[in-house]
Amino acid sequence: MRERAGYLPDIGETEFETKVLTFQSQSEKVEVEIPFLTNEQMNKVIEKVKRASSEILKSFSVSEIAGVIDQAIDQLLDRQSPYRQKAEKLLPVVTGYDEEIIRLGLTSYLKAFRKKELQRFLVEDLGNPLLLDDFQPRVKGGFSKAMGPNIVTHIWSGNVPALPLWSLISGLLVKAGNIGKVPSTEPLFSGWFAHILVEIEPRLADCFAIVWWKGGDEERERCLLERSDVVVGYGGNQSLQSLQNRMPITTRFLPFGHKISFGIVSQSSLDSRKAWQSVHQAALDVIRYDQQGCYSPHIFYVQHGGKVSPREFARFLANELENYQRRYPRRNLSIEESASITAWRQREEMTIFSNPNNEVLGNQANDWTVVYEENDLHFTPSCLNRVIKVIAFETIEEILSCIDLHRSLLQTVGVAASPKELFEWAELLGKTGVTRITALGSMTSPEAGWHHDGRFNLLDLVNMVDIEAAAEASSEQFAPYVD
Amino acid sequence: MDHQKEIIQHVFQFIQTDASKATEFNELALRLYAYQYQYNLPYRTFCMQKGKTPRMVRTWKDIPPVPINAFKDVTLSCTDPEKAEAIFMTSGTTKGVKGKHYHPTLHIYDQSMKLNFKKRFMKDMEHIRMGILFPTKKEMPNSSLAHYLALAVKEFGTKESHYFVNEHGIDMTRLLGELNHAEETGEPYALLGASYSFVHMLESLERMGKTFSLPKGSRILDTGGFKNQSKELELNEFYHLLSTTLGVDRADCINMYGVTELSTQFYDKGNESVPSIKSGPHWIRTRVINPLTGEEVPKGERGVLVHCDLGNFNSVTTILTEDVGVELENGILLLGRVQGTEAKGCSIAVEEFLKAASKGVSE
Repeated sequence: MRERAGYLPDIGETEFETKVLTFQSQSEKVEVEIPFLTNEQMNKVIEKVKRASSEILKSFSVSEIAGVIDQAIDQLLDRQSPYRQKAEKLLPVVTGYDEEIIRLGLTSYLKAFRKKELQRFLVEDLGNPLLLDDFQPRVKGGFSKAMGPNIVTHIWSGNVPALPLWSLISGLLVKAGNIGKVPSTEPLFSGWFAHILVEIEPRLADCFAIVWWKGGDEERERCLLERSDVVVGYGGNQSLQSLQNRMPITTRFLPFGHKISFGIVSQSSLDSRKAWQSVHQAALDVIRYDQQGCYSPHIFYVQHGGKVSPREFARFLANELENYQRRYPRRNLSIEESASITAWRQREEMTIFSNPNNEVLGNQANDWTVVYEENDLHFTPSCLNRVIKVIAFETIEEILSCIDLHRSLLQTVGVAASPKELFEWAELLGKTGVTRITALGSMTSPEAGWHHDGRFNLLDLVNMVDIEAAAEASSEQFAPYVD
Repeated sequence: MDHQKEIIQHVFQFIQTDASKATEFNELALRLYAYQYQYNLPYRTFCMQKGKTPRMVRTWKDIPPVPINAFKDVTLSCTDPEKAEAIFMTSGTTKGVKGKHYHPTLHIYDQSMKLNFKKRFMKDMEHIRMGILFPTKKEMPNSSLAHYLALAVKEFGTKESHYFVNEHGIDMTRLLGELNHAEETGEPYALLGASYSFVHMLESLERMGKTFSLPKGSRILDTGGFKNQSKELELNEFYHLLSTTLGVDRADCINMYGVTELSTQFYDKGNESVPSIKSGPHWIRTRVINPLTGEEVPKGERGVLVHCDLGNFNSVTTILTEDVGVELENGILLLGRVQGTEAKGCSIAVEEFLKAASKGVSE
């Protein structure tokens, strides 16, 4: 099966060199053909998008744009629509995730971009969304308008399907021209989204481009980086650093480095009835996209003192993961990934000698691993792919001192705790660098309007243009009707 | 202590006897397993966790392999490690933690090395004039390779054999002298050392514009890969350069594969084509497994290597490596090391985390 990826505005050319990326599942093979632009073509694309953004996109009201996005999301949520069917068919092959995981993941994810959620998104960041359309009066006096950049470049990474939508939709809402670079591991979804938008609103045809080049192709990156107002980059710190080094100081860079997340389970949630619920939700956070997301848990810290002990929690979790393996099996792993899981698990098994209270749980086929650990609360990352640690703790302070070392890497904490604990812990966790606290079971689906890594999705993209009160006042004396 | 003596004796005899039968290998492997299960406590805990007590282990293939990294975390020894005659350590790159392999005596290690080296490298020759591209044993007392090379010189080198590596790198003057001498006298010459040292040597020779045509019977042994210590050469280019620069047939450029955690080495039959097929002597056996299930993969498919080395009488015989390979009729095709895998999504991968953590507060 062959699928064309990417999206290009009309630059008066139809001949493009293409690259073919091949993906293979057990039963199917998908060849993804993606245009690979010359520098000259890339320059034309940038020019075109820049012009269309200032002439066309900026003439839309934000509410109209949200309306178009809403219709596109509507199509993608409709399981009968051709794009949705294509996504459900191809994404499992391309990413390797189970079909059901993809189906459920897409729906829960896309729901965050319906009109009502987009409105929330806008109000969350701007207070008054009309700021994007017109100068709005300010409380302090004067007027302001939030102006979107001409070109936002997105460098996406990773194989979690549809993840690029966050930044692409943010870019559209602020009326920016968008150029997105898709990752080789999931090159399809953002291109489809672009096509749907244009089918709904043909006037948007030249307002964005979805392209690909091999990461680290400095020549192609340079011409784009130099001509972008804002660059949103996803990836490892090393590749982000190298991007930044090649960027003019006048380009605004919004790096989203790889992050780590974990869960905390309070004793208050560990009675024999409620504990099961927490375990169930925790397991869901582990199996969704096999922990590949930055919001996926590496560790669950479980408090002593409940009716269900941390050790029992670990065993329940193991049981639940075994159940899920049947219903939503893990993605097929490469030899390298398999070897790293085995090395990780065996190494843990080896340390049981020095820590006889630890426990390593897993099945014969190594489909999942739960390690139970006492006494050592240090944060060590999981090798992912359904490998999780359960570490027992007494007080929240113990955890804080261990995660403090990694503050620049922290993101989400999934919490099962009483309301009082929730707020107390949130205060403490926030101080150590955590930026998102959510319920167990929701770790992998951030809600609309969330602050990604603690930042503003829209505000970080725009420039506020102020008309100060002085200008307004002084203009009065120059009015033709001044008395 | 008597138990150990007895074990050493059995291993010694087994190594000594050529053409050992499969049943004998199995028997000794199980015997060593029972011995290590009894005296090597971390290993015993590990086996119990896996439900593999000596009663459950019927063939050498059932022996639970220890991940090679475990040598960094626990002491794997059946006797008091304080009393070891030698401790070989890995070069240890991640966080500076080194794997330690304890040898209460080097008797078996040396015997294993000598027999195998004689057969696979020396072949028809008793002694050869050697040049070593590696530091001496004195300079690197915990390097198994330094010991190996010292043993090669002592047992198989003529008394004119030399070390060429000093604190400034390779002593090129001396090396050139030796190569010239070999060319002039027609006396076969052997150059042995770390692969990356050969790369440095090749670079220097190229700068000087020197090439040699070493006499027939000359040979080369390289080992260890490039380990980021020199520029990475394609294997094919590496052996092409070696052969054309020194005038040694690629069939006489032998690559040795050995790791600190084993007591036995693997060799190929020259490198006319790469990657070469490696094999070991009768006291080491290799399985190629699917790392997830631990089951052997069908012959010809990629998997991870597990070695059962009866020379490892004191630590653990059976080791799960991080090397990917394919089993063929006459040996094993090594396809390289499993690199730390990057997370496919936006979560952080272990290696990146370690890098980031080492930059932060020191732990």
